[in-house]
Amino acid sequence: MEKYGIGQPVRRKEDVRFLTGKGVYIDDISRPNLVHAVILRSPHAHAKILKIDSSEAQTMPGVLAIVTGQDWEREDFAPIPTRSAVKTKISGAPLNQPPRHCLAIERARYVGEPVALIVAESSAQAQDAAESIEVDYEELEPVTDQVKALEPGAPQIWDDIEGNICLDFELGDKQATDKAFAAADHVVSLELRNNRVTAVPIETRGAIAEYDAASDSYLLHNATQNVHANRATFADVLKISPDKLHHVAPDVGGGFGAKNSGYPEPPLLLYAAKKLGRPVKWIADRNESFQGDTHGRDQASKVELALDSEGKFLALRTSTIGNLGAYCFTMGPFTPTAGSARTQGGPYDIPAMFYSAIAAFTNTMPLDPYRGAGRPEASFQIERVVELAARELGIDPVELRARNLMRADTLPRKTPMGLDVDTGDFPQLFERTLKMSDREGYAKRVQESRARGLRRGFAIAPYLECSGGMPKEFAGVTFASDGTITLSVGSQSTGMGHETSLPQILGARLGVDMDKIAYVQGDTDATPLGGGHGGSRGLEMGGSAVMTAANDIIAKARHIAAHMLNSTPDDISFANGAFTDVKTDQNIAMEDVIAASFEQGRLPSDMEPGCLDTGVTYERELITCPNGCHAAEVEVDPETGSINVERYWVVDDFGTIINPLLAEGQVMGGIAQGLGQALMENIVYDEESGQLVTGSLMDYALPRADSMPNMQLAFFEDAPTAKNPLGVKGAGEAGCCGAPPAIVNAVLDALKGDGVTHIEMPLTPEKVWRAIAGGKLSP
Amino acid sequence: MPQLSLSVNARPVSADVEPRCLLSNLLREHLGLTGTHIGCDTSQCGACVVLVDGKAIKSCTMFAHQAEGCEVTTIEGLAGEGTLHPMQEAFRDHHALQCGFCTPGMIMASVALARDNPALDEAAVCKGLEGNLCRCTGYQNIIRAVLAGAKSMRGKHDV
Ligand code: FES
Ligand code: FES
Repeated sequence: MEKYGIGQPVRRKEDVRFLTGKGVYIDDISRPNLVHAVILRSPHAHAKILKIDSSEAQTMPGVLAIVTGQDWEREDFAPIPTRSAVKTKISGAPLNQPPRHCLAIERARYVGEPVALIVAESSAQAQDAAESIEVDYEELEPVTDQVKALEPGAPQIWDDIEGNICLDFELGDKQATDKAFAAADHVVSLELRNNRVTAVPIETRGAIAEYDAASDSYLLHNATQNVHANRATFADVLKISPDKLHHVAPDVGGGFGAKNSGYPEPPLLLYAAKKLGRPVKWIADRNESFQGDTHGRDQASKVELALDSEGKFLALRTSTIGNLGAYCFTMGPFTPTAGSARTQGGPYDIPAMFYSAIAAFTNTMPLDPYRGAGRPEASFQIERVVELAARELGIDPVELRARNLMRADTLPRKTPMGLDVDTGDFPQLFERTLKMSDREGYAKRVQESRARGLRRGFAIAPYLECSGGMPKEFAGVTFASDGTITLSVGSQSTGMGHETSLPQILGARLGVDMDKIAYVQGDTDATPLGGGHGGSRGLEMGGSAVMTAANDIIAKARHIAAHMLNSTPDDISFANGAFTDVKTDQNIAMEDVIAASFEQGRLPSDMEPGCLDTGVTYERELITCPNGCHAAEVEVDPETGSINVERYWVVDDFGTIINPLLAEGQVMGGIAQGLGQALMENIVYDEESGQLVTGSLMDYALPRADSMPNMQLAFFEDAPTAKNPLGVKGAGEAGCCGAPPAIVNAVLDALKGDGVTHIEMPLTPEKVWRAIAGGKLSP
Repeated sequence: MPQLSLSVNARPVSADVEPRCLLSNLLREHLGLTGTHIGCDTSQCGACVVLVDGKAIKSCTMFAHQAEGCEVTTIEGLAGEGTLHPMQEAFRDHHALQCGFCTPGMIMASVALARDNPALDEAAVCKGLEGNLCRCTGYQNIIRAVLAGAKSMRGKHDV
């Protein structure tokens, strides 16, 4: 049994399917009578739609339907609602939420906004028809930058939303913070951007919609991370009851947040499926994904740190202008506001903090949570300003950080941002990371780099983040008389391996072989509710729900065991998959109890066959606080500006580790995305035309195998959280929080002799080279 | 439509497909071999890599008719039913896949790489996989898996 226990590096159950090409992703699904949809998108960032002439397209071979914004408006469908947890401005008034319809009506507000849906017998025919639709646009001046969008005289994106402001937001004690700044010995201030990036799951989005006239109900297969929430959203749009929509996610090829949102395409497909009485399929191509998948980050911030004469942090003040894009997407307004506020200050002891933000509309694809959603931004802000403070005050950055970390004996505590930090040991993780990183050998490595004409730099970046996502989760367990067990959970894996880790938890707790446990996820028929994937909630919520279900099953099985052993439940103990009568020492295996549960004759009179079937809803009270420490060593070539991240170390505190193999995978994948953001990834819009410059994988750089350093990972497991029954804190987004500051600060450390104090991400060779040249020119 | 004959996973196949039909389309749409994935439209991602006469080819960059008379191997044909090829085995052992979408292309490219480079090292793997993107794993486990898979292929004389 132990080989499958909690904490064991169990190999994944889903792997054989994926390794042999038998995974079933959305584009692998076909249906009899299937037809294909293509979306015509706006080529302009900001334009009035004067007229759409589809008369020629209508007559083209294979064309079955063309739907425009006008048609959509005539049907009177609802706009797609935002589900942002932050709903109001500082004044208490509701945030400005412009209507986001599935198709642009009268005006297009970003490049790639859907303008028409075309359905044909084949996707090539639909594509041909799309190309012959004539749309008369009257171009309007666009604004793509959020800071410019707030300037007086900026183009107005919404006639009735003055100044392009969605909402303003603040958190913390302004008075105490201002007071601390006024009294401080040093104030260090930095303006920085968190660059706009996008998730780029290697599988693009796509869906197949079907309609059954007899039952007046829909079936939607969709490459989504969140079937339940999106069912509610799509049902709202179509003005149908959610139980008329069966929403299923097949194997999903990565998501990272970008497949969480309520997108316009699925309701369009559902509508077309009903209209045509045939299944309708749409698969995004990659160029379309860059235009039409949500983007992330894109914040312009000013960060100020107040310190005393000893370098002790006194206060932190951050103000941010977040770019929302043209609409409030599903969670858009949350990210630059509460999403970025909660973990301000990271793991440092900062007595006073104040965070303020404005979220602005621009003529760009809307933003929504991308791996971390605000916490990577917060982590980057504090680590950058601390690095700068160390330089300005002439204190070793390692020493300055060590001096200011929250001490373990001050936990639990609530930060000035209201975050409940319960367990952890930040100084110990910091020390361990330093130890791993071989500081003794560093001076020699610097020399060696220098001998090769290269600059070497080092940085350490402790982080503290928090989990998120829907606060409820469901787990259901059903038993079949042939011994198979089916576990259905409302959380969802898009690659994280829940098909392994969740049966692993159930198997370990019940003492049954996890290979006998079938796993179901991503199906609105399988669980009454579900929070899907997002906010590092997979184990925290899904795992805790499974644990709670297991405990309920054990409680019921204890009664059966007592009956079978002629004992009473109070005298029955349960351990290692067996119930034991503590008085007689007689025992019986869980598997035998499960077998008995199907026979009335072997059950207590108040229990019925099938009584072990269990469904529970787990609800969290407090979000958890994953934390850890990253460190990076880089080499910079001053001749070319190119950067080689040479060594990398991480110690993470995710609480209890269920499966170290999978936890490490999350860390490494997160580091890769953090490294991508730091060094190469960047969504660029042309400021004048509003065109998307980085519209393909030729223009948007992703990390490749040779971009990655050798990563050394360790886990600190001595501080499990009591906030959930598993003691887990969440692992999915941590890598994205630690990597950008560790890498950027290491590069700036390498360039300190060149007088370079700041470079905006991504640190491309050109920018680095220019910064070095500029530094030389300055006095 | 012109007639086309080739061998796919050691079976003779003939098909009537348009001249513009890509090899990836032939495999996925006409032959139902959906293990070969499509992740881009600019030949960047490598999710579609298959072996054509033993060489790793991005099947989205080749017309089906260009494979006339060729031997094509896809992920489905790499090992016998119910068994795993040493490279598949190594990917599993080293947790070199998460969502699995890049995996078929990654494995086919790695098999060719191992066969072409008897002395494969880390640098050669990184270079050899330049044309294969993975967004989930951070590559470290993929590199480990390819080295281990190559070693075990040599042990089984599959080089
Ligand atoms: S599908 Fe991306 S390279 Fe072929
Ligand atoms: S495993 Fe998801 S893209 Fe590689």
